[in-house]
Amino acid sequence: MIENLSLFQLVVILFASGALLGLFSRNSRFTRILTFVPTMIGSFFTVIFSVSVILENPFQLIVPNLLPFINLEIKVDGIAAFFLLLISIVSFAVSLYSIGYSKEYEAKKRTSVFGFLFNIFILSMILVVASNNSFFFLIFWELMSLTSFFLVIYDHDKEENVKSGLTYLIMTHFGTAFIFASFLLGYIQTGSFSFDAFRNSSSSFPLLTKNLIFLFAFIGFGTKAGIVPLHIWLPQAHPSAPSNVSALMSAVMIKIGIYGIVRTVFDLSGFGLSPEYSWWGILMIAVGSVSAIIGVLYAVIEHDIKRALAFSSIENIGIILVGLGLSVVFASFNLTTLSALALIASMYHTMNHSVFKGLLFMGAGSVVYATHTRNMEHLGGLIKKMPWTALLFLIGTISIVGLPPFNGFISEWLIMQALLSSYQIPSIILQISIAFASLPFALTIGVAAATFVKLFGISFLSRPRSETIAKIKEVPRSMIAGMSILAAACILLGVLPFLGISVITSAFHISSQPINPFDAITLQNSFGKSFANLSMPVVVIMLLSVTIAIFGFIKVIGGKTKKITFSTWDCGFGNLNERMEYTGTSLSQPIRVVFKTLFKSHTQIQREFFGDHKYILRTLKVESFSKNIFEEKLYLPIISSSIFIFDKIRKIQTGKINAYLLYIMITIVLLLLFVRLSHNV
Amino acid sequence: MYSMAEIIIGIIQGLVIILLSPLITGIMRKTKARTQKRMGASVLQPYYDILKLIKKDEVVSDQSSWIFRICPWVNFVSLATAAFFIPLFLTYSPFGLAGDLLLVIGLFALARFFTMLASLDVASAFGGLGSSREMMYSALLEPALFLTIFIVALTHGGTNLSTLITAVSGATLLPHPQLIFAAIAMFVIVLGETGRLPFDNPSTHLELTMVHEAMILEYSGKSLALIEWSQAIKLLILLVLVVNIFVPWGISSSITILALGIGFVLLVAKISILATFIAYFESSIAKWRLFRIPDLVAVAIASSMIGIILYYIK
Repeated sequence: MIENLSLFQLVVILFASGALLGLFSRNSRFTRILTFVPTMIGSFFTVIFSVSVILENPFQLIVPNLLPFINLEIKVDGIAAFFLLLISIVSFAVSLYSIGYSKEYEAKKRTSVFGFLFNIFILSMILVVASNNSFFFLIFWELMSLTSFFLVIYDHDKEENVKSGLTYLIMTHFGTAFIFASFLLGYIQTGSFSFDAFRNSSSSFPLLTKNLIFLFAFIGFGTKAGIVPLHIWLPQAHPSAPSNVSALMSAVMIKIGIYGIVRTVFDLSGFGLSPEYSWWGILMIAVGSVSAIIGVLYAVIEHDIKRALAFSSIENIGIILVGLGLSVVFASFNLTTLSALALIASMYHTMNHSVFKGLLFMGAGSVVYATHTRNMEHLGGLIKKMPWTALLFLIGTISIVGLPPFNGFISEWLIMQALLSSYQIPSIILQISIAFASLPFALTIGVAAATFVKLFGISFLSRPRSETIAKIKEVPRSMIAGMSILAAACILLGVLPFLGISVITSAFHISSQPINPFDAITLQNSFGKSFANLSMPVVVIMLLSVTIAIFGFIKVIGGKTKKITFSTWDCGFGNLNERMEYTGTSLSQPIRVVFKTLFKSHTQIQREFFGDHKYILRTLKVESFSKNIFEEKLYLPIISSSIFIFDKIRKIQTGKINAYLLYIMITIVLLLLFVRLSHNV
Repeated sequence: MYSMAEIIIGIIQGLVIILLSPLITGIMRKTKARTQKRMGASVLQPYYDILKLIKKDEVVSDQSSWIFRICPWVNFVSLATAAFFIPLFLTYSPFGLAGDLLLVIGLFALARFFTMLASLDVASAFGGLGSSREMMYSALLEPALFLTIFIVALTHGGTNLSTLITAVSGATLLPHPQLIFAAIAMFVIVLGETGRLPFDNPSTHLELTMVHEAMILEYSGKSLALIEWSQAIKLLILLVLVVNIFVPWGISSSITILALGIGFVLLVAKISILATFIAYFESSIAKWRLFRIPDLVAVAIASSMIGIILYYIK
């Protein structure tokens, strides 16, 4: 076994060399290999590193006075290692995928810059998770935000991409400001930037400080994670970025926000096992439920594949937060077993979301690679042209919808059980409100199924909706290989949940009975009987046996029959064409009507008639609009009022030098007064 | 762990659901026919249909892909597997160790997911139409269903069906007040999940009204047989759940021939009564306009919310 220290150094060196090799191998045929292969190797070693940390000991490294008076402190404990594992698995798959995918940009862009940013982006995420000092944490955090910003606007020829990059930049700094505030509160209390100092003395912080630390961290990290109403950047940035970057951002980067929340709540903020902290969890459950439902409802009406996936990320972050919030609420009432259950559920979903959202974004990237459109109304019939992509995308789809025996089901099952266990909280108001919180949660799961039926059904199935589809072919092998890794993880985590659960329990030091592969996940009720059981391997064996049985039955009783291929039933009129199929918009129309207040959707119909004939149409144009009420009701007023205020402030800029001298004079007088007065006190 | 006899009984319970399900569908059709002053086909007609269909050749749409072909199998396998988790005439099923009520719901969702995809696969407008309506129904029914499960699971101590049904059968005759509200919600859910009036009319082929039939319009032969059969299984599973959760009396809690026999006879009687009632109820109302359905689901959700409040405020 290699030393953890040398492993860590090796990882940093590999990513750095990937970045530099990319930069120096400009215009070479090998750029793609030179940039992404070191990334893959680096990711691979990160997997080994994080597994070894989870299994053995935390890893710590201090470089004293790297900046004056500030030590670079690296500490990888179980929590960090768990997130490192997610980062490294996804980035391994994504970099393999990128070898093929970056061909898309090779003709028109400098892939060398891309490789540089890509490597630095992954490295900065690793360092954010690993750093144990708030100062360096913020430096790496900024590095992560900036590299991802440049990656979002990589395709900067399109104006909309630059616009969404800007939104992302503003929102991410809004978040960083709050994280800053949160860390500064800790600094004021301890006089140190080190997380170790926070950790050791945070339990003696005043309650108000603890609450503020949590609140600021929640807003700050929540912005990165994409909670509603701070999610506004997410559905803009993800579609604009190249798909391998959106896979990384959605699968991993927004999880760093979750990491920040977990780290703050359970490690740095001085959270204690007493009910006065329960509002932290309640806030998370409330925000999580709202994010989940808003995310999924906007996803279902979306016809841009990548935007729909981005909205679905908001939904999944919501689900993760519901689980995390439950864990905090349980912990605050000292129900440690239940708290562990909810934490496992939430982290399991975090892991699952990394895996399947990475897969789905790569799948969407393959679609864009082959067809050059993200609009599903122009797609259709891809399953026949791109069978592998379709199969892998379907696996991701089934997983994210939470259907057995795939991984999404396990985590959603666990979160449902955590919700059900809320009856043990000794507060009747909380019991009832958490029970009601399961309502948006369940609705989310229902609408998510609709979203992905639409996404897969409209893009991959039925008749092609445009002529370009006829010419496309399957994507390169490396892209399929990249997707297959995550698809395999989806199946593995679904069929053998003990794998994921034991990783989480040992990473978070949750003591639980050892799990054998075939043992069921068992929860007990207050009478000591089994509350719920789930043993996925047995279920899979049952599914397989029923399949074999029914197959045999049908073949034996039914005998041999022919399959005749014939055109779809057209009611006898003939000539069904692609314009008669259901479109994505019409598919989600019932849901759009039911939740119309949220979308403010309206339909505009333009008719043109033949002369005076009022009943004979020449042309008919129907347009359907739905708006994003958050942009409209929340952000636009803020933007317009700040523009108004700045307009007023601008008047002090007269452009005359004596006016400015006057301002300086006034400022100095005021400052002197301030110093003088504060000395007297 | 369970004894060999118990495991065999467990397998028999699952097989009984699978084999008995077309009969229940037949009884419902017969009842509907009689309330409409028709003679109707024999109650065994669904069996004849299935046997006839699996011997027939199939016509498959030239637009379709493998999704369309595997959908009937996924449907049957997931719903038939779900049947093994259901305690039927014995208060527990040995398979309860492997999965609970939420898994059963998950398997339902798996079947529905593939049906919706397959309906889009054939590139017919009917399929999309059925699929989009089914999307709305399933999305709206999900919260009602989960809240109802919430009430039932908390009242009886688990989503593990064996624990659940055992607790129910030992309960006193006086029902818990929250269960009445859960039962109201559950009734609406059963109508919605199985595509009964006023949600959907299972015996129509009119594009204005059909939902499930629109999705499976392209199926024929073996595939259609599998789909029809799995729908019958789903219906029976839901009826059994209603009966065993809300009117459990007579269910056997031990493996003796007499107790099992009584349990079985009583169960068939109760299911038949419930099926007849649903069929009669269906005959007495019309299909609702699509966008009035959310009102009905809202009733179910509200009812289950009241149930939750009643559970906590004892």
